Formats: sequence, structure tokens, C-alpha cells
Amino acid sequence: MKKLIPFLFTLVIASTVKAQSVDEIIQSYCQAVGGKNWDAVKNMRLKTNLNQGGTTIPVEVVMMADGRSYTQITFNGNTMTMRAFDGQKSWGTNFMTMAAEEESAEESENSRRTAAEFPNALMHYKKLGYTASLLGTEKVDGTECYKIKLEKKTMLVEGKEIPNIEFHYLDKESKVILMSESELPSGEMKGKLSQEKYSDYQELNGVMVAFSNASGIKDGPSQTVQFEKVEMNVQVDENKFNFPKK
Amino acid sequence: MQCLLLLCSAAFAYSQETLNAGDYFGDLKARHLGPALMSGRISDIELHPKNPRIVLVGAAGGGIWKSQDGGVKFNPVFDAHCQSIGALAIDPNDPDNTYWAGTGETWTRNSVSAGDGIYKTTDGGKNWIRSGLEKTDRIAAIQIHPRNSSVVYVAALGALWGNSDDRGVYKTEDGGKTWNRIFFVNNTTGCSEIIMDPANPEVLYAAFWEFRRTAYSFQSGGNNSALYKSSDGGKTWNKLESGLPKGKMGRIALALAPSNTSVVYAVIEAEKKEEKGLYRSDDAGKTWKFLNGDFELTVRPFYFSRISVDPANPDIIAKCGLSGSISRDGGKTFRNLGSMHPDIHDIVFDRSNSDKMFFATDGGVYRSLDGGSSMEMVECLPVSQFYHVSHDNREPYYVYGGLQDNNSWVGPSESPGGVEPGDWEPVGRGDGFRVYPHPNDPNIVYSEMQGAEVMWRYDIKKQEIKLIKPYPGEGSPKLRFNWNAAFTTSKHHPDRLYAGSQFLHVSEDRGAAWKIISPDLSTNNKSKQNQEASGGLSADNSGAENHCTIFTIAESPLTDQVIWVGTDDGNLQLTTDGGKTWNNLVKNIPGLPPNTWCYHVEASVHGKGIAYAVFEGHTQNDYRPYVYKTNDFGKTWQSIVTSEITTFVRSLQEDYQNPDLLFLGAENGLYITLNGGKSWSVFSNNFPRVAVHYLELHPTKNALLAATHGRGIIVLDDISPLRKINASLLNSNLSFFDSDVFVIDEKSNFGGRSQENQFVASNPTSRAQIRYFLPKRHMFGKMTAEIHDLQGNLVTKADAGKLKGINTIEWGFNATAPKVAKGKSLSFAGAPTVKAGKYLLKITKGNEVFEKQIEVVYGKNSGFTPAEREEQQQVTKQLFDFIQDLAYLVFTIEKWEEKANDFQQKQTKPNAGVAGLLNELSSIKNILVVTTGDNYVGTAEPKLREKLNDVYGSINAYPGAPSSTQKENILSLQKQFAEAKARFAKAESGSIQTFRKLLEKNNPAETFKVPDFGEYLKM
Repeated sequence: MKKLIPFLFTLVIASTVKAQSVDEIIQSYCQAVGGKNWDAVKNMRLKTNLNQGGTTIPVEVVMMADGRSYTQITFNGNTMTMRAFDGQKSWGTNFMTMAAEEESAEESENSRRTAAEFPNALMHYKKLGYTASLLGTEKVDGTECYKIKLEKKTMLVEGKEIPNIEFHYLDKESKVILMSESELPSGEMKGKLSQEKYSDYQELNGVMVAFSNASGIKDGPSQTVQFEKVEMNVQVDENKFNFPKK
Repeated sequence: MQCLLLLCSAAFAYSQETLNAGDYFGDLKARHLGPALMSGRISDIELHPKNPRIVLVGAAGGGIWKSQDGGVKFNPVFDAHCQSIGALAIDPNDPDNTYWAGTGETWTRNSVSAGDGIYKTTDGGKNWIRSGLEKTDRIAAIQIHPRNSSVVYVAALGALWGNSDDRGVYKTEDGGKTWNRIFFVNNTTGCSEIIMDPANPEVLYAAFWEFRRTAYSFQSGGNNSALYKSSDGGKTWNKLESGLPKGKMGRIALALAPSNTSVVYAVIEAEKKEEKGLYRSDDAGKTWKFLNGDFELTVRPFYFSRISVDPANPDIIAKCGLSGSISRDGGKTFRNLGSMHPDIHDIVFDRSNSDKMFFATDGGVYRSLDGGSSMEMVECLPVSQFYHVSHDNREPYYVYGGLQDNNSWVGPSESPGGVEPGDWEPVGRGDGFRVYPHPNDPNIVYSEMQGAEVMWRYDIKKQEIKLIKPYPGEGSPKLRFNWNAAFTTSKHHPDRLYAGSQFLHVSEDRGAAWKIISPDLSTNNKSKQNQEASGGLSADNSGAENHCTIFTIAESPLTDQVIWVGTDDGNLQLTTDGGKTWNNLVKNIPGLPPNTWCYHVEASVHGKGIAYAVFEGHTQNDYRPYVYKTNDFGKTWQSIVTSEITTFVRSLQEDYQNPDLLFLGAENGLYITLNGGKSWSVFSNNFPRVAVHYLELHPTKNALLAATHGRGIIVLDDISPLRKINASLLNSNLSFFDSDVFVIDEKSNFGGRSQENQFVASNPTSRAQIRYFLPKRHMFGKMTAEIHDLQGNLVTKADAGKLKGINTIEWGFNATAPKVAKGKSLSFAGAPTVKAGKYLLKITKGNEVFEKQIEVVYGKNSGFTPAEREEQQQVTKQLFDFIQDLAYLVFTIEKWEEKANDFQQKQTKPNAGVAGLLNELSSIKNILVVTTGDNYVGTAEPKLREKLNDVYGSINAYPGAPSSTQKENILSLQKQFAEAKARFAKAESGSIQTFRKLLEKNNPAETFKVPDFGEYLKM
């Protein structure tokens, strides 16, 4: 007994005084969400039924390891692509005409620059040439987190190269990402911080996936997407990434 | 082993004493009401040297705002830190990322807030780190070496209210890690300006100012004020004297012409009137020449000592002032700037186009595109500085308050489209302070201006203003009113008003006649009543230093006989007999320094003898908090301050239900205790660290209203969950709060009329808010929420909150929308509103299910009879089914179309019968849904689906009975649908039947079946 108490104190003190480097924290995160098992994931398909004031809107999101992606919704029985990236160009559907339209050249360029991030930028930040730094600890809604600044390749906005920075808040206890944050670079909300809060992590094929994502503007209301089904390495219709031929 | 158990229990047991409330506020968020139509005082503006889109604004009490569009819209970037801004600087070596912010405003009026050091960001304002100088109180200027970001000079003005050695010129050579005070004059004289020669950064000019403010006086100037120059990066300093005034000097404005750095301007507050004004040096400070002593150059130097030079022209200079002025002849003559809010504190020129200018005023930021002639106000900066807030009991309720230099106002707590600038109405002039509605008639509003120079009773409906200030009577001494003069309404007598000079005045007729019901309740210290001599070298007797006055009046909500009165000179007086006798209680208060300003008394609803007294001593240079509670009419007092409160406080609000729940308005934000003051937590959920001058709790809405001095009115719309947070909740995986009856919001409107560049306050939610508590954030495993009726049928799904602490599920009283037929364009049919009644919320968290029964009711004043509602609900249900029947018919037709087309494609020659079937199906479908066009002007003529959704929408959206026209329309649609169904039935028994046989003949193994209605709905 005499030995046990000093041991407990040592344990407590050691865990509090040992400062972790940003790389160690990110590595802990990677391990917590599956580590090398992510290498076997070539794509993910996430499905849900979005509830918009009682109206059910089926949503399907596909993300490929090569950076291609699409998000499609079904409304009135019509399936439409909200946004897609074919590896070179990003495009979406104009809801006035129901026809596909390319996004601006800048948006496509920015999509190309981040195409290699699957499943996310933090996990492969070194390989991607990004810079991560630990800004300290901060409480997010009462939960103690590490705050990590991730400086990515610049992005092109309104003709100018601007920094592309993400802030990731990693739950100190569970090691996983609790919240990601970035500044909106353009549009009506330009300059405001966009936040995504993750939860409902579940294990799938040896990796952890957040089935719930509440997104919104900092200090404003948020919308939660609760994925009902997540699949990996599925057969995908390759045409869905491509801009439809007119 | 016992030791180990104790260790464990100590580590894991929670009690109300140790519960850190701040970890459990969850999604309880503040809402900013603003407004921004009058904005508030701005202390400093900085422009990016190369990118004119970037504008930084430092507010006197409202933090830092950044624009990325050239000053049209701004976002706050400093909410987590001290909101009083003295000076900003953009690093010329890294202007996209590195900014410095010196806190503590230096326009040292009586109501100015204090700072807590210098901050730096290296990511364009997303994150700030405090980089020292914590005790400098207020920072006047920051200069960054143009080629070495590590070298920064700071003009520290220092303490306003007392002596301090933390002032002078500071320099860092390591980017803010360490600082050296490189020039110090004495502990009463601070550095009020520092400028750098951009052509030779070793050359610095610094202005020093001897100054002091007390609660009852202001002194600007002395023998130690002077102008200095260093030519060696601050190692040595030489006093500049040639051509400058002799004797005492006051505050000095300094500027250098960027296009010719030998030209330096100084505006000097001198001892002699004829020496006050603008001086110019053309030889880098060696000699000076007096140019001009116009009013705008010499007015109120403590408030307006800033001058700016056009970056391209050394002879164009703009001077801050009451209206501001500009010279285009090197300072010989000036003209006033264009029309904007008075009291100009900073003027900046765009470096690439000096016709474009920005102005910092007491009423926000203004832009000019023509060199200062025409002005345009920035309308999205809600940095208004309220002194006080009150509310009425209307539905929705309105809030009332007065602002620094920006009148008194009333505005709604919610409004169609959000609370917009036009929703606010002025109810007083001048500097506004306390404003109250008549307790029973919100058309009657009482307001005042500074020093109770005028008090008004304003009948909004009649547009009638009556001046109601108490006047001294025969033999009465001069009445002394505070700048922020005390007055209040009564909780027991609707027409009664109390007003405080040095006496307590009472009126029983809405302010028409007054009588005095107390002796002089102040210390009546004559040495503190010489305001005429206030100002120093420039007289400044505005009423801001009025002293030995009553500041707070609190009538007990339980009896009109108990009235507490606090004075600005430190007395706390009590009458328990309606004013017949008074007792000064301050002697009973332990640990309170003498003459500490009694800022607020909260007379409790929980007992006649219970009260809280808030004292604040910052005008005696004492920044400690003083908050006390008495249970025995002031005989004994107990401090409820803990070390968690880090600065002085002004206001306290108790909860009306839970006596342990208290709210504290501090110089650095809002604090909350759940345990009667044993521990306090900062509330920071969308609540900046702004000075809170007053707090009020709406008793039926449970809305906490905060009058902030820099960020307008901030509201916590419903504090009721805080009443229930206690340590026992930590032992349950999920606990519901007692929110179980919700009124369906049936209001409808066309929204607002504001523009994108205007601040509009969001409305509180009108949805049901079902609240629960999680002891820990939900991270792993599924967590979902559903609403069911009591028969177990799913009504709708909902978003489950997953935060640690308080969580809210919001439900708009909707059920599930009908399934709409597929068509070429989109057609909407929203979800019906549920009937009043009982429902069950089910939260599934992992393997556990938590249930909460709630009740939904109609508003008492909704105006619809049960029969009308019943009819509306029946018809809505009928149309709901109709929409789904039609959708299924379209689905069935399309399934046959698919099959028939598939069949035809496999034939070498199209089958004529199948072709006929396809024609018939297409013809029927064309009756049912649009098959061409788009969702805008290319839209097709509406078909049955579109017409049906239209009439469904119009009936579903209105809770009353459908009209005869609507019902006739439904009959017409039903007839058309019946005809279409009949045609399809005929096809089913005819051509479809033939086709089916054809299929069987081709492939006997094939059995084609259209999914049934139930299956279709699940698809």
C-alpha cells in the first residue's frame, strides 16, 4: 500500500507534466481512428435521410481515395447532384434549370489542391506537405481539447492566393476530432468561422467513422447530418463524378 | 487502503461546491440584440498597407472587428479577450497575418473601460495571444519596425485612476516575448502617442501626458507633459522645445507626413489659450511653428488628440474633434468634415487612394470616397454602449436602455425577419442612461440625459413629451445628480417613480410632482463637489464628474417600506419605513475600502431582509470585485466573491426561483454561480468578454438581459435550465429538464426589409425546446432522437444534441411531409403541423432509450375555434392522402412505362399494342404532373400535382378553417384525379393486361409486379 499511493501520484503527475508534441497528438488521433487500416479504404459511401422540417430528403455522399467525390440528393423522386468533383473539375446542379453547371475555375483549382487529403487532411498532413502546430488546449462546449492549427496549401479566392488554414480540436480523452474549424473565404459569410462538430464515432472495417456531423457558423445555429449507413470499398458508378454530357 | 479510497472519492465525487458550471452550459447560447443603427464609440482604425479590402476596427468597449471587403461588412475577431481597445497595428512586414492589439481605450472619458495588456495574432486575427504589458491599463499606440517584425514600440498611457510605474515607452526586440520600458517620465505621466519615421525607423517621436481622473474630477496637463524625439531607436530621448509652448502642457496629437518625413505636426494642449493648437515642423522636429488655434483643433484634447496626414500629400491633414476638420494648405486653414456622428477619434487615409477615408466616431465607423466631404455609415457594427436595460411585459417584450452619446431607445426582443434597425425607436436624447416603461402601460416611457439635465416622460402613442426632472424647492440646496442619474419605477405603485439626487425623491403621479423622502444620503464631501474646476488645462465641466450623489435605488419587491439606496461615494442606506428613517449600513460591510462606489443593490424576492450589494472601486484605482449578501436587513454581510472573478463588477441579478442562481455583470463579462456565490464561472457561449453594466431578468420569459458597454444588449433567452443543474445530474447518463409544455407558434409574416450590410438580430426560436443534460459529451455509438405520438407512431425525427451539459432538441411542431409525385420540375408540400396533445420524445443513446412526455398546446390568443381547427386538420389530412395517392399513381404509371420501354427496345420492330399503351400512360401522366420545363421562368403549365400542392400548402399554413373557394378547388381537383384514375383503371384492365400477357408469353418465368402503396412509401 505504501508503494501504491506514490505510484498513483507519479502516474498522475507524469501524465500532466509530459507535454505532447503536435506530431504525437496527431499520431494518437490516427491510432484512435484506425491508423494503417485506413490504407485499405479506397472509397466511402455515406447515406442518410435528411429531415428538413418533416420533409425527408435522401442523401448519398461518395468520397474516393483519389479525391473524387459527389453528393446527391433525391427530391420529388428526382436524384440530383448537389456537388461533384471528377478529379479535375467541380460542378453542381442549378436548381432553377435542374441542369448541371461547372463551378468557377477557382473552385475547381481548390478542389484539385485538396484532392489527396482522403480521409482527411490531418491524417496525412506530413505527406501532403502541410504544417501542423499545437496552439494549446481549449475547451469546446466544456470538453478539454488540443487545438491544432493545420496550414495547408494556399487557396485561390477572388484572384488571390490566400492561406488555407484549418483548426482541429482533438478530444484529450478519446483522442478523436471533436470539432474542425475554418474561415469562410468568400460569399455572404466571408470572414466568419465555419465549424463542424463530430460525434457518434463507430468502428467499421477496423477504422472509426463519425456518423454525426453538426455544421454551422460559430455562435450560430447548426444543422446535424446523422448518417444512417456508411459503407467502404463499394462499387461506384464512375459516371456520377463526371459532368453530364449535354 | 483507506487512503486509496479517500483519494479516489476525492477525485471523483462532485458536489455543488466543486461543480464547474462553466463546463455544463452546453448549447445555452447568448443572442445579440445590438442594435447597430447608432453603433458605438470607435477608438482606432487600421488599414492593410497593400490590400484595401482589409480594414481593422478597434472599438472603445466592443473589441476588434475585421472587414475583408473594404469596410462594407465586419466580423468580430477578439471576443475571447478584453473588449476595450486602445490601439491596433498591422505589421508592415506581414500584413496579411500579423496584427497587434493594445487594450485599454485612451480616450479617457469617465465611462472608459480598462485594458489588460497587448495581444498579437499571426494568423490574421483567428487566434490571439497575450504578449505582456498586462499592467499598463491602456495602450495609446504601437509602432512596428518596417523591416524587422521583432522590433515593436508601445506607447503605454498607463493607469487613469491612480499612480503607476507601468507606463511610458516600451520596446520589444523579440516579437513580444520580453519588453523593456525604454522611456519613463514619472508615475503620473504616460506616453499618449508614439510615431516612427518610416524612412528611418530609428527616429521616433513620443508625446507624454500628465493626467488623472477621479470619480469627481479630471486633470489634464502638468509640467511633465512634453514632446520627445529619439534618433537611436529609443536609447536616448531629447525634449523638443524650439517654437513649442512653454510651461504646462496637456495632451498632444502627433503625426508625420509619410510623403515627406521631415514634416511633423503636433496639436498641443497648452497652458495659454493663444498657444493651444496646431504646430508644424519642417525640419523633423528641430523647430516648430504655430499655425492654427481653431476650435476643432483645440476642443477636448483628452478626447480628440489625433491628427492624420494624407499619405501622398504632406499638406493635407485631418484632425479629430467634435466634428473633425481637414486642411489642404498644410494646416493654415481648416474646414469641417462631412456630416457624421460627432466626436471623431481617428481618421485614416487609404494609402492607394487618399480620397477614400475612414472615421472613428462615438457613433461608429464612417466611410468617405471623396476626401471627407460625403459620409456613409457602416451599419453592421453592434458596438453600442448601454448603461442600463429594462423591459416591459408585452408579447413579444420590448427592451429599453440608454447609451453613451447615443440617446435612449426602445426595441422589440423579436420582430419579423429579425430585429432590424427600423424596429428601434428613440425615447430620449443626449447620452442616454436608465429608461423604464410604465409598469402597466408601455406607451409611457421614462428616460433621462446626462446628470438628469432633463428627465422625460414620453407618451409614444400620443407623441407627447413632458419634462419631469425634480427641481429644488424653496430653501432646498442645489440638487446633485450623477452623470448616470438614479431613477426607477415602483413594483407596488404603478404611477410611482423614485429619483436620486443626494436626496431620494418620490413622485406618485408619473413624475409631475416630487417630494423628498430622505436626508442627504451621500457623504456630502464638499471637496468632491468642485466640478467647475474640472478639466485641467482645458475646462471640462460636462457633468461627468458630478459626485456625492445617489447611484442606485432598490425598492423591495416584497414591500414598499423597504428601500435600499447606494451612493457613488460609498454609502449604503436603508429605510424600512418607507423613507421616514434611514440607516447607513456601510459600516457593517467587512473588507470594503472607504468611499467605494455602491453601484447596485439587488433587493431579493426571496426575503424582505435579503439583499445583494455590489460595490466597485475602479475610480479609486481599485479593480477588485466587491459583492456582498445580507439576510438580516444589512446588519451583517457576507462576501460572495471568489478568486474566479478577476476584475471589478457592477451589477448582480438574482434568479426569481432558485436563490442560489446568481448572475454577475463584470468589467470583463458575465459570471454565473449555481451555488449562491461559492464558485463562479464565466459565461462565454456567444458572450464576449465585454463590460456588463446592468443585468435584468424577465420574470415570465426567464430571459436574462445584459446591458453591455460595447456590444449592445445581449440576451440569454431562457435561463431556466440553469436552475436545475446540480451535482446529482452527473450521476445519470441523461436527465431531462422540466420543459414539457410548448405553445405552437402560429404567427406568419413576410420577414424583414434590411440589407446585407446591416446588423439584424436573430429572433429567439419559436420552436419547442426540449432540454436535457449530459454529464459528458456523447462521442461514440449512435445517438438519435424521434418524436412519437402516444400510440407509438413516429411523428418525425429530430436532431439530438450531444454536448456536455445542457442540450436542446428543437422541434417546429411538424409531422412528416407527404410523399410527392415525381415530375420534371420540383413541387413542394410541407409537413403538416401536429395537433395539440401529448407526444413522446425518444432519445436512443447506444443501447439505452430515454423517454420524455411533452405536451403541445395552442396559444391562448390564437383566435381559432376548436371546430375551425378540426376542419383544417381534416382537410389537410385529406389532401395529404390525396398527394400520396397521386404520387403512387404516377409511380405506378412510370413503372409500367419503364417496363414497356424496356420491352420495346428489345424488339426488332416496335409492338403496336405496347406503343399504344405507352401513349395512353404518357397521356394520363401529363394530366397528373408536369413533364417539361424548369423551376423558374421556363416553368410548364401546372398540372394536378402542382395544383394540389398549392391548395394543400395554403390550407396547411393557416390554422383556421379552409375557405369555400379552397374547398371548391379541392372538389375540382378530386374530379380531375378521379377521371385520371378511371383512365388508368381502364388501361389496367385493357392494354396493361394485354401487355402483361405479352410479357408472360415472352418469358413465362418473369413476374412483373409494381410495389404496393405501403412499399412505395418506404422507398
